Amino acid sequence: MRVEVDDDRCGGHGVCMGLCPEVFDLAEDGYAVVLLPEVPPEHQAAVRAAANQCPTHAVRVS
Amino acid sequence: MSELDGIDFFRDQSVVADPYPYLKGLRDECPVRRETHHDVVMVTGYDEAVQVYNDTEVFSSCTSVTGPFPGFPVPLEGDDVSALIEQHRDELPFSDQITTMDPPKHTDHRALLMRLITPKRLKENEDFMWRLADLQLDAYFESDGEFVNGFGQPFAMLVIADLLGVPESDHARFADMLLHGAEHTGNIGSTGDDTLAHSPLEYLYAEFTQFVEDRRREPREDVLTGLATATFPDGSTPEVADVVRIAANLFAAGQETTVRLLGTMLKVLGDDRELQRHLRGNRDDIPNFIEECLRSESPVKGDFRLSRMPTTVGDVELPAGTTVMVVNGAANRDPRHFDDPDEFRADRPNARQHLAFGRGPHTCPGAPLARAEARVALERLLDRTSDIRINESVHGPAGERDYRYVPTFILRGLTKLFLECDVIEASPR
Repeated sequence: MRVEVDDDRCGGHGVCMGLCPEVFDLAEDGYAVVLLPEVPPEHQAAVRAAANQCPTHAVRVS
Repeated sequence: MSELDGIDFFRDQSVVADPYPYLKGLRDECPVRRETHHDVVMVTGYDEAVQVYNDTEVFSSCTSVTGPFPGFPVPLEGDDVSALIEQHRDELPFSDQITTMDPPKHTDHRALLMRLITPKRLKENEDFMWRLADLQLDAYFESDGEFVNGFGQPFAMLVIADLLGVPESDHARFADMLLHGAEHTGNIGSTGDDTLAHSPLEYLYAEFTQFVEDRRREPREDVLTGLATATFPDGSTPEVADVVRIAANLFAAGQETTVRLLGTMLKVLGDDRELQRHLRGNRDDIPNFIEECLRSESPVKGDFRLSRMPTTVGDVELPAGTTVMVVNGAANRDPRHFDDPDEFRADRPNARQHLAFGRGPHTCPGAPLARAEARVALERLLDRTSDIRINESVHGPAGERDYRYVPTFILRGLTKLFLECDVIEASPR
């Protein structure tokens, strides 16, 4: 599983970081960054939750 | 009939003092359970709450602030009430506010709002917060020690004024107008019987209409010009009234809520001196402490939704036209998601997963602002004191404290908090 954050959509809410801090962080500028674009199996459920719950649908998994 | 049905969550003062046993009672029976007094389905489970918040196809936000009070203007009959909602939503209170909008209109107005509170703007605003915190603490340390109104209210209000670019020379006038004007606005979610004015924010509208019209006529290099000239995603220019409403809404939504968070934080630290000592020496643990405050005492108890069509939440079938209350404060104590949920654990690893800011497209856009305000205020309070205690002559001794909570079914937090602070000389940030 791969994950990316759409910078144009991200609003800096930090929901993804709350749900899976191993994969997402908030950068200095306040927007989300992906720490592990190749998502390890143990975090895949949390990353799916982040994609589902992002207020601006900025988190995409493929 | 269960014992729970004897309690009216929306009216009884007993649930104002402590709503959690009642909410746990509901969740234990079923995390999606109808209360009988106002026919509201109470969503008290974490996963169920997330489901409702994310499903904007089924659940309309048209009654998000008011729920069953006064309820929908016409009977909602049939298997699809979408058309009825569209016909009558403008008759509902707060219908001009972003919290009650649905996509696609919500999406456009939300985008406009997010242009005003970008991470860059928040950063500049935080610089102001450090200065403001010191100014307000100077005044607070000279006062009778009541923290909620003595520090929280003016601090939270002026942070928003600065965020929106209100010049500092106007701050004193704003504080005077808003902190006294607030007495006349009616209480959202009051457990009393006062009726709601259609737009209780009108007193702010005049100010911002002036600001926006000024800046559109004569643009300057300031934040208000950015506010006045912001456009919808399709490039069109909003009506002055649209911009003004969004600005006014920031005050309405961002002030009382942040004040309640600040009150909870200081109550916890006044009662738990060991935790206070720990945070004094381990400032990096402050953010998670704030998240745990938000989880355990969610400033917004919950939000309403109205179902357009039949649906299933958890295992419960709901007909079209059902008013649900997503109870953030209950979802945040769901034992299926948070271990020993009634316990306050400042180092709880998943505290930040709380739903205090809601979820889905209506997620609180002010969340990063509230977090920064809470952190800055606490940092400076800890810097400038060596000890903070609950004033026992007002609140009583440990174990028998007397705290009063705001008498509404929407907000959760102290009306007043009297503290004793040992003030020390501290260097500025």
